[in-house]
Amino acid sequence: MTDTHEQEKKQFKRLFQQQGVDQFDFRFQVLEAFLKLEHHVIIKDIQVQLKADGVKLDKGFVLNSMELLCRFGFASKIEFDDKETQYEHRHLGLHHDHMVCIKCGSILEFKDEAIEKQQLKVADAYGFHMLQHKMEIYGICSKCMEHRTELVPLHKAKQGEKLIVKEFDAGRNMQLRISSMGLKIGDLIEIVSAGFGGQVVISAGENRLILGKGMAEKIRVQPFDRIKTQRHDSKQESNDTFRAPLLLSQMKTGQEGVIRKVSGESVLRRRLLEMGINRGSTIYVEKYAPLKDPIELIIKGYHISLRVHEAANIFVENVKFKKR
Amino acid sequence: MSKELTIALAGNPNCGKTTIFNNLTGARQKVGNWPGVTVEKKEGKLRHKEYDLKIVDLPGTYSLTPFSIEEITARDFILNEIPDIVVNIIDASNLERSLFLAIQILELGRPALFVLNMADVAEAKGIQINEKKLSQLLGLPVVFTIGNKNKGIDTLVEAAIEEVSRFSEGKESRDIRYGLEIEGCISRVETEILQSEINIGGVLRWNAIKILEDDKIVKKKFQDLSSSAAKKVFQTSEACRKRIYDLFEDDFEIVLTDDRYGVIAGIVKETVTNLAIKRIDMSRNIDLVLTDRFFGIPVFIFFIWAMFQLTFSLGAYPMEWIDMTVSALSGSLDKVMPPSMLKDLLLNGIIAGIGSVIIFLPNILILFFCIALFEDTGYMARAAFLMDRVMHTSGLHGKSFIPMLMGFGCTVPAIMATRTLESDKDRILTILMTPFMSCSARLPVYIVLAGSFFAEKAGTVIFSLYFTGIIIAILSGRFLRAVLFKGEEAPFIMELPPYRMPMLKSLLIHMWDRSKMFLKKMSGVILIGSIIIWALSSFPRSISYTVDYDGKINALKSDYSQMIASAATQEAEELNRQLSLELKDIENRKEQERVSNSYIGRIGKGLEPIFKPIGIGWQASVAIVTGFVAKEVVVSTMGVLYGVGTGEGEALEKALKKSGMTALSALSMMIFVLLYVPCFATVLTIYRETSAKWAGFNLIYTTMVAWGMSFLVYQTGMILGLS
Repeated sequence: MTDTHEQEKKQFKRLFQQQGVDQFDFRFQVLEAFLKLEHHVIIKDIQVQLKADGVKLDKGFVLNSMELLCRFGFASKIEFDDKETQYEHRHLGLHHDHMVCIKCGSILEFKDEAIEKQQLKVADAYGFHMLQHKMEIYGICSKCMEHRTELVPLHKAKQGEKLIVKEFDAGRNMQLRISSMGLKIGDLIEIVSAGFGGQVVISAGENRLILGKGMAEKIRVQPFDRIKTQRHDSKQESNDTFRAPLLLSQMKTGQEGVIRKVSGESVLRRRLLEMGINRGSTIYVEKYAPLKDPIELIIKGYHISLRVHEAANIFVENVKFKKR
Repeated sequence: MSKELTIALAGNPNCGKTTIFNNLTGARQKVGNWPGVTVEKKEGKLRHKEYDLKIVDLPGTYSLTPFSIEEITARDFILNEIPDIVVNIIDASNLERSLFLAIQILELGRPALFVLNMADVAEAKGIQINEKKLSQLLGLPVVFTIGNKNKGIDTLVEAAIEEVSRFSEGKESRDIRYGLEIEGCISRVETEILQSEINIGGVLRWNAIKILEDDKIVKKKFQDLSSSAAKKVFQTSEACRKRIYDLFEDDFEIVLTDDRYGVIAGIVKETVTNLAIKRIDMSRNIDLVLTDRFFGIPVFIFFIWAMFQLTFSLGAYPMEWIDMTVSALSGSLDKVMPPSMLKDLLLNGIIAGIGSVIIFLPNILILFFCIALFEDTGYMARAAFLMDRVMHTSGLHGKSFIPMLMGFGCTVPAIMATRTLESDKDRILTILMTPFMSCSARLPVYIVLAGSFFAEKAGTVIFSLYFTGIIIAILSGRFLRAVLFKGEEAPFIMELPPYRMPMLKSLLIHMWDRSKMFLKKMSGVILIGSIIIWALSSFPRSISYTVDYDGKINALKSDYSQMIASAATQEAEELNRQLSLELKDIENRKEQERVSNSYIGRIGKGLEPIFKPIGIGWQASVAIVTGFVAKEVVVSTMGVLYGVGTGEGEALEKALKKSGMTALSALSMMIFVLLYVPCFATVLTIYRETSAKWAGFNLIYTTMVAWGMSFLVYQTGMILGLS
């Protein structure tokens, strides 16, 4: 690799001098710094490297230099969804594709001959002459996948579960608020009650805390004693579960779900909340009236009726058939 | 020395509040309306040891937000009348939802007592509540009761008195603490209110919360006291609201509601043990039939039919007795008193007038008994559930169905039955639509007119009239909803309470309360009304008759008496009969002239130009005007005016045909009678149940609709040449 890098530096000198680019020395330092770094880098990374090399250059200059490097084929620019522009070494003759983890942002390089060939074939079939291509696969990397099954947001936890706080997926303000309540990463907590408006009451040691939905969503926890087989069971149970949220008015007789959101005009919404139809409550569709209009529902252990167009303001998730 | 205490009972609807109220006060209750609104206000008295207790039953609510009259009424009572203690009745089997109201009551800062009612039901459901813990958490006493078995009522009273004395010794109610952010906002607004140095009354914390919740009533009160200080406080509260919105992406009141449920969840978690007993839910099993997709509506129709039958068929017997008693009374007075104007007033004015209203009493008693039965068992909510779709098409609530249906019997009790509707808009709308339901008193008019002019088709014609009434009612509903009652409809969020065994005592109290209210309201105004109508129809007294009827009568009498004296027994009988027939004929003619010359007759004649375009002659016009007294009177007045006397159908038929009335004008008249001003008693009831404004509106609106429809029918008929 060092050989190729040396080779490239030489080419760079030749090319840049040919073109008469200004501030040659500084630009060369940018290249050097860039080549020292592996994988995908952003401008800031280069600046850090430059600093380590004892050079201080402002962002605009580095950016400008990188644009030049791209133009002359020393670097290539990669722009992934909503991420800062990244640069990678461009070694002529070598091509690879990318997999981007949307969770941790790590980028995997890969090359598959079969795909390359297939691409040519497809282009050919359409009478298309391919010059260049770019392929990016977005997803979740294996590391995050492993993580993901383990970590759940706190508001999804069930009553009585014992959990360990793993991370705070929150902005500074929220983090401050959470830590001001005395909750830190690594704490063992128990869910005292959950599901009432997304609110979670937890006990952390001797402490009893009420977390609003917004807060609970941002705290990721790991089950303390979850056994693998249990998870297996729940997977089987969720076979008949429609994961996407439905409108309450779309639910069928005998279905049950958890209220995710109550929208609508303020008075109606407040009325619904006051009657106990709030986020996180479990709601069961008992029946529709003979003329199909009001719906009879069971919530918090009592029966209530709503008109269909009012029920259309309520989003329900985890809808499944249940015998009551 | 006795001490007086006021105890307010608060709680959710269907929590057994009224049962406890009845148990506490027995028959010593007073039912009226809350000032300004038609929400029933119940008060009762109770003597306990050295205390005189006044018990006030607040309207049943789920919350204390200022959205419905019930809620505002309950809240204002606690805040303004300052009862010594608020007793909050809680359905123990439904603790979580009940606590939502409970902690709002706690927040008002008044002495309070929590009563876990229906403890037996909760137990049967496998719910165990640790009342000591609950009392500890909330900082107030908690007692168990079983309302329908009268258990724990004494403990309730004792505990209430104790708590009052504890408060007078300086105890303060405990604050419910919410999340950090909410608390921050509350204390900021509290400080701001304190700095403004304005005393808005009530608890500081509560006022702060209400201002933060953007409560219009509290804000207005504050603003009225000092607008400059209020502005400052509102600025702070707006800033807080914005902050909460930024953090939670929701309004303060919604976040607070969520927080309240959070607190409640904590309380429930600590105090309730759910034993996993799965009992058969009787209520759900009953509903398998009563709100079934196929059986639900037929069963409902059967129940309504049964209620109808009971009200109007069974009610017919006592009605007859009342009628007999009234006529016996007037008959005996007739004999005792010498003929005078006073006698006429007493007999034909007052007794006849009051008699015509009191005759509805059996109907009303039975109807209210049935309605109380529906309400107390929990079927009323199901009826609304079944019928809501139908009623919704005309912009009404499912519960409007029963009053509308009752309208076919008699409009007066039907309007009284609208009391079951919670929303004021729905009530007024239902009241305005009900008179279009053809009441039973209009039937005789149809029978005479349709019988005379449509012969075999009479049945179809009468049926179409009823149907027309329904259509007009629906159209009116939509029209009024769109024009006068604009804005969002009240949401149809209704609890379907579990079926309960009704208690006879409570049914009877319910029935009697409402009937009593009806009678009381009627008695005053009906007296004045009957006197006015009597005066209109019997003045001027000195009519110069065109013919000397009295002379004729005397001549006839002397003629016949001579003939009878000289005739044999058999012939004499025959002559007697002839005499009475001829006498009657003369008297009929005399009455005809008298009525047409009376003020009411003159009004009728004066109205003739108005009735002409719809094909109604002056006799019928007068009959229609007298129909304002009671619809039954229309036929008898027509009898008088067409000179055939009252109550002789066939003669009237002939007379009608002879008078030049056509089938078309008869139809026009029937439509007019169907739709025009309901009777005097109805207008009064509307006035009492709503306001003079609506009574007046109803008067004008119905008449306009009636005239318009008749005009349409008559003129179309004329153009088509159908006379």
